[in-house]
Amino acid sequence: MSEANTSEMAAVSIRHLSKSFDDVEVLRDVELEVKTGEVVTIIGSSGSGKSTLLRCINWLEKPDRGSIHIAGQRIGIHEDGRPMPVRELAKVRAKTGMVFQGFNLWPHLNVLHNVTEAPIHVQGASKREAEERAMALLEKVGMVDKRDSYPNTLSGGQKQRVAIARALAMQPEVMLFDEPTSALDPELVGEVLAVIKDLSAEGYTMVMVTHEMAFARAVSDQVVFLEKGLIIERADPETFFTTPKTDRVRKFLENHDTPSPA
Amino acid sequence: MNASAWHMLLEGAWTTLWISAVSIAIGVMAGLVIALIRLARIPIVDQLLVLYISVARATPLVTLALFIFLSAPDLGLDLNRSVAGILALSLNTTAFNAEIWRSAFRNFSREQSEAAMATGMTPWITFRRIMLPQMVITSLPGLVNEMSFLIKGSPAIAVIGIVDLTRVTNRISAVTYEPLPPILVAGALYMAIIGCLVWLQRLAERRANRLAT
Repeated sequence: MSEANTSEMAAVSIRHLSKSFDDVEVLRDVELEVKTGEVVTIIGSSGSGKSTLLRCINWLEKPDRGSIHIAGQRIGIHEDGRPMPVRELAKVRAKTGMVFQGFNLWPHLNVLHNVTEAPIHVQGASKREAEERAMALLEKVGMVDKRDSYPNTLSGGQKQRVAIARALAMQPEVMLFDEPTSALDPELVGEVLAVIKDLSAEGYTMVMVTHEMAFARAVSDQVVFLEKGLIIERADPETFFTTPKTDRVRKFLENHDTPSPA
Repeated sequence: MNASAWHMLLEGAWTTLWISAVSIAIGVMAGLVIALIRLARIPIVDQLLVLYISVARATPLVTLALFIFLSAPDLGLDLNRSVAGILALSLNTTAFNAEIWRSAFRNFSREQSEAAMATGMTPWITFRRIMLPQMVITSLPGLVNEMSFLIKGSPAIAVIGIVDLTRVTNRISAVTYEPLPPILVAGALYMAIIGCLVWLQRLAERRANRLAT
């Protein structure tokens, strides 16, 4: 992900994205561009469409209209409107890594195998190669000594760190975080945020839905505020948190712990 | 009981064992395939499968075995007794197994399969690597139950002339005029077979604890 020409090409490019569930419009003509190496945080109250937007990026949710490109490649539908066959869709999806609110580790596999499963069976990596890569990632998230443990013996924070390693193992162009700390006990939030912060320092491209305002302010390059499926404000974190343009955002920030300057 | 009686009993046990084992193997696989096909909800195909499942579940094994064995010649099929017996047992157990697998599919965590898809797994790899290993463990109690029902119901195939573990006791007592010893031995052998299955089930239960997160 460090080639020079990728800096011009967006890691994620979302155009005119719309999506409804039954009669409710959850996304309305959303436009978003995430440059390589950039950290974009999506903020908004619950039901604003944040998670849906994130889940559209890797096509776990199928948008009704609009287009999404991952590192220049269209996901879900071909440019001529043909739906993408499942194998091809899976290939584009592999360019993204996702971390879920509920961790979603595979309970029948131990920590190491949770991380090696996709590299071996999707990328065709050899067992040795996959395990070497996995160990390096488990090192990064501080879970090496738990490599033989099964998910049900781990704390929430440990599970989430393994889930991050699992997503990284596919060497994605962009990491998608869907409220990665919302299901954690307060004392476990820090260890997960620390890992994500390290990743941002290493230059990973990330799109994150979160309620951790101080964290969003510290790591983001761009903050996007979603309200009823519309992006009503977007700015760099300083501007966003200190001088919001709309009353809606001002009100939202008042109701959350407004972070002190980083 | 003399040596020849013992020999006959063991032969009967073997017949019960291999015919049941083949039927179980067919039934477990075919049940899974039917459950998979039903996931796709193909019109007409789905209705036909539902029809098959309700008919097979409602038909007594003896009736099914007789029907298959007696109707085969009319259909131009030359079935020997064992094949007809296996067909009857398989048709019966497949229907029950299809329902067991189907509920395993229905109860499988959507979040886990989403996590699999998100890493770039195709639906097929997701099924094979993530869903199936867990579905086997969670379905095993139900499947083993069905296996032991099948074994206990297998004397029904005696109706088409197969000399299984139950039928053989009749033959022995017809000679010895002592029906009790062979029946007792047969009972013990059934218990041994079912015992093995229950042991298998325990093994699976130990693994299942891991899945309960």
